[in-house]
Amino acid sequence: MTASADSTSPDLALAGAIFDVQRCAFHDGPGLRTTVFLKGCPLRCAWCHNPESWSRIPPEAAPAFRERRATVGELMAIVRKDRHYYDASGGGLTLSGGEPARQPRFAAGLLRAARAEGIRTALDTCGCAPPSAFALLAPHVNLFLWDYKATDTAGAPSLHRELTGRDPGPLLDNFRRLYAGGADILLRCPLIPTINDTPAHLEAIAGFARDYPRLAGIEIIPYHAGGLSKYDRLGLPRPALKTRQPDERTKARWLEFFQARNLPGITLA
Amino acid sequence: MVNEHNIAAALRLEPRPAPWEKPLSLELALTDCYKTLRDARPAAREAAFLRIQLPAMMTPMRDGDVFAGRVRYPLVGLSPELMGVGYYCLEKPIREILANPAAALDDTARARIGDMLAFWKNETTHAKIRAAYPDDVRRVLPEDDWPRHPGAAFPLYRMAGITLDNEKLLRLGLPGLAARLREKPGQSAGQPAPLVENTLAVLELLADLSRRYAAEARALGQAETAAALDAIALREPRTLREAIQLFWLVTLAAGVCNYGRMDVWLGPFLARDLDSGALTRDAALSLLRALWRHIADSHDNMFNNRICVGGLGRPDEACADQFALLAIEATRTVALNQPQLSLRFHRRQNPALMQAALASIGEGRTFPILYNDDVNIPAVAAAFNISRDEALSYFPYGCGEYILDHASTGTPNGLINLLKILEDTLNQPAPDGATPDERFPTFETLWNAYAAQVETTVAALARQEKITYEGAGAAAPFLLISALFDDCAARGQPVFSGGARRLGGTLESYGNTNTADSLTAIRRLVYRERSCTLGEIVRACRDNFASPDSARLRRRLLDAPKFGNDDDEADSLAARVHEQACAAARDAGPRAGFDHYHLVIINNGANTVLGAHTAASPDGRAAGEPMANAINPSPGLDRNGTTAFLNSLLKIRPDIHAGSVQNMKFARSLFSPASLPKTAALLSAWFDAGGTQAMITVVNRGDLEAAMREPEKWGHLIVRVGGFSMRFVELSRDTQLEIIGRTLNE
Repeated sequence: MTASADSTSPDLALAGAIFDVQRCAFHDGPGLRTTVFLKGCPLRCAWCHNPESWSRIPPEAAPAFRERRATVGELMAIVRKDRHYYDASGGGLTLSGGEPARQPRFAAGLLRAARAEGIRTALDTCGCAPPSAFALLAPHVNLFLWDYKATDTAGAPSLHRELTGRDPGPLLDNFRRLYAGGADILLRCPLIPTINDTPAHLEAIAGFARDYPRLAGIEIIPYHAGGLSKYDRLGLPRPALKTRQPDERTKARWLEFFQARNLPGITLA
Repeated sequence: MVNEHNIAAALRLEPRPAPWEKPLSLELALTDCYKTLRDARPAAREAAFLRIQLPAMMTPMRDGDVFAGRVRYPLVGLSPELMGVGYYCLEKPIREILANPAAALDDTARARIGDMLAFWKNETTHAKIRAAYPDDVRRVLPEDDWPRHPGAAFPLYRMAGITLDNEKLLRLGLPGLAARLREKPGQSAGQPAPLVENTLAVLELLADLSRRYAAEARALGQAETAAALDAIALREPRTLREAIQLFWLVTLAAGVCNYGRMDVWLGPFLARDLDSGALTRDAALSLLRALWRHIADSHDNMFNNRICVGGLGRPDEACADQFALLAIEATRTVALNQPQLSLRFHRRQNPALMQAALASIGEGRTFPILYNDDVNIPAVAAAFNISRDEALSYFPYGCGEYILDHASTGTPNGLINLLKILEDTLNQPAPDGATPDERFPTFETLWNAYAAQVETTVAALARQEKITYEGAGAAAPFLLISALFDDCAARGQPVFSGGARRLGGTLESYGNTNTADSLTAIRRLVYRERSCTLGEIVRACRDNFASPDSARLRRRLLDAPKFGNDDDEADSLAARVHEQACAAARDAGPRAGFDHYHLVIINNGANTVLGAHTAASPDGRAAGEPMANAINPSPGLDRNGTTAFLNSLLKIRPDIHAGSVQNMKFARSLFSPASLPKTAALLSAWFDAGGTQAMITVVNRGDLEAAMREPEKWGHLIVRVGGFSMRFVELSRDTQLEIIGRTLNE
């Protein structure tokens, strides 16, 4: 991406709402990363494993889950401590959440500050934010980690809406616009056995591989139940999701689906 | 570390081979020998003593042994470290044998054994060393039995961590070594000096032993082993098998249990055998695997048995690398907690070595232990005040103490518990009845009182260590060690009496992290926030945080910054505690007569044992709980991720001590094919930034808890405890819990 008007120095006093900073993250993009988790998410995915990211959580929630304000300057002081690990591994800063694009000015400020120091950036997003937000963010993002969660069937009620609370249309529009603008995007697809691993959804994922050859990759993220205990610590009821962690056979079946379509680049994360 | 297996064998009344079948008959004969030669020259006395001890303690080959050489020390004998220092007499097991009705001992034998115990009471080298302590040393070190007594400092009686010049041994062989000694008859013209004459006698004894083992090997149908044993009695070794056999016999006879840079001295034999077709790579691997098993079985000692491969300063790097790769493969496939294979590495090293190492570590072996030459060589050069070239031969022995391979001594002869010193500082009754807050109106006044106490204690420990060396030197020249230790021959002096190129010592330090975290909490709450008084903290610790007020205060103490989170407030005090204690040792060494004397921040379980006798501390640790392991964060209190933990470690200076231990616990998933490149990058970035060494345990989440519940299913699970590895299921419950509590990096 070409940088926009970046001649001014980053605004270190810019503040936003976060709920966690994870250093040495292995799974939030290339290499070793520091991941800043921004508070607030417009989606309510049925399998959400970060319920602490929601704006409203009960006041009795564990202190580690409470929202806190942090400035770009404070966060950069943490982020830059691990730059030798980023350099050695091809890593950098990832913004996740929640939906980081819902705090576009703060997120863009933080990404820009990292880039100004030569630290590569990634944005983990579900795409649910106004187009203007992505326009603001895109110049400062090296790689989008784009979640694609569910596929609707024509004529049927929206499965995407049922599973996430939102229609998929505007999210996909954002995706197409960014792709057309030249953004590097890694598509990440959480697969939840019996919930969203429908033939239509797998076919749609295969369609992404064919229609968007410049994608940085497509990763299948098998469901894990690791987030369930967070609901307890938040004082929230666990989601009534009738699923289980996929066994090796299920995962193999997913991969075979793509291999049969000559799409070996679709891999398990 | 006294060899428990030998004691157990003696207590089971397992008879020795003829003529020592009767219980304690060997011990009585050794005592008689010593008595007869009590006032003879130490070299003559040692040679005569070994003429009895060596053939008796070298026990017969067993069916299946590929290499000859097993050892079972007597309960009275001579040893540098394994049974105590110098001439030793293990009174407790001897009394247990006396009390055992099954022991076939007549009244005459009992009376003689009683006399023997009475004789050794003040005659063991240990007793003579303790008797030689001046009053001020005795005041600081009143007690020897450290596992059972509270205290801030204790002496340890041993000459640990000696390595032999195996390159010289294998180049010359027994006859060549004897010929070399005869060429340099020593000071007295014409006549061989007593040191030379008696060393020659011991070398002849070894040749006899080799022939004896050859006969045993033939009887067991081990023709190749027999041929190798016959050969090394006559000439220098020429094959890998002969070289290993000679190394092992001499090592056992010398009482040594750390083996130095094996790839340097076995690499050429391996290369020659592979080139000539005498061995295939698989056959060579089988030999190494047999040696690894033989070491673990016949010389079981998880705190020692160190073998080093890799690193700078090896004359033929390619040849040594070939051996190193085979050694790592042996470790990966034998899957035992010994030998403690260690890999030295540097930036320009053949990357295959590190790849093989990570594969072995990733399978849960805990070996090889990794040592970064790019940092450690300059650090050792600075700490020991030697040239870079000399520092190339640094060798981490035992639990991780640095010596110069067969050139410097570095036994830890003392323990210091820094947290106990802080406890004493805070609780010392003031003569004028002043409260802690009146005695220490500022943080610096508290720091100065603590630091002064550390200095006094370390100075006494350095003097005690020097006395220990003098006592060992007066007892015996340790002829075989002196024959294979740098400069002893040239100077005509035994190793502990002026022969060793560099006389060094070390001091094991414990409680460093808890002390630092305690001081951080005190500085923040008492002197910066002024949110509580020092008196309140002292009372809460005495109370072990039992009262509601104390428990509330404990939560705030626990909330204070902790080492291991890349937080400068905590890490800078950790660095200060470290630097002060290291400087105290470094400066005390030359005053006590050492070339170098340093702190080692290693761990052998003493963090748990000493912790049991240490009160609750201002970092929030409860009374009796283990202290943090070596230089590591307190278990579970490093919460900012692996990179933060690693960055904290980088703030601890490496160039002022003689070894520190960094234990890391990684999830097995980080060594999966998908994650391994990131894990390798993580370690490589850390080493490039100054990381010194890593001891890595790889486990699955839940493995350790499952192993506690069902130990019978988890015999294969090896973990790094501190400076040693052990089967998890064999650890004490306390230590198991301590390891479970450590942060799992995932």
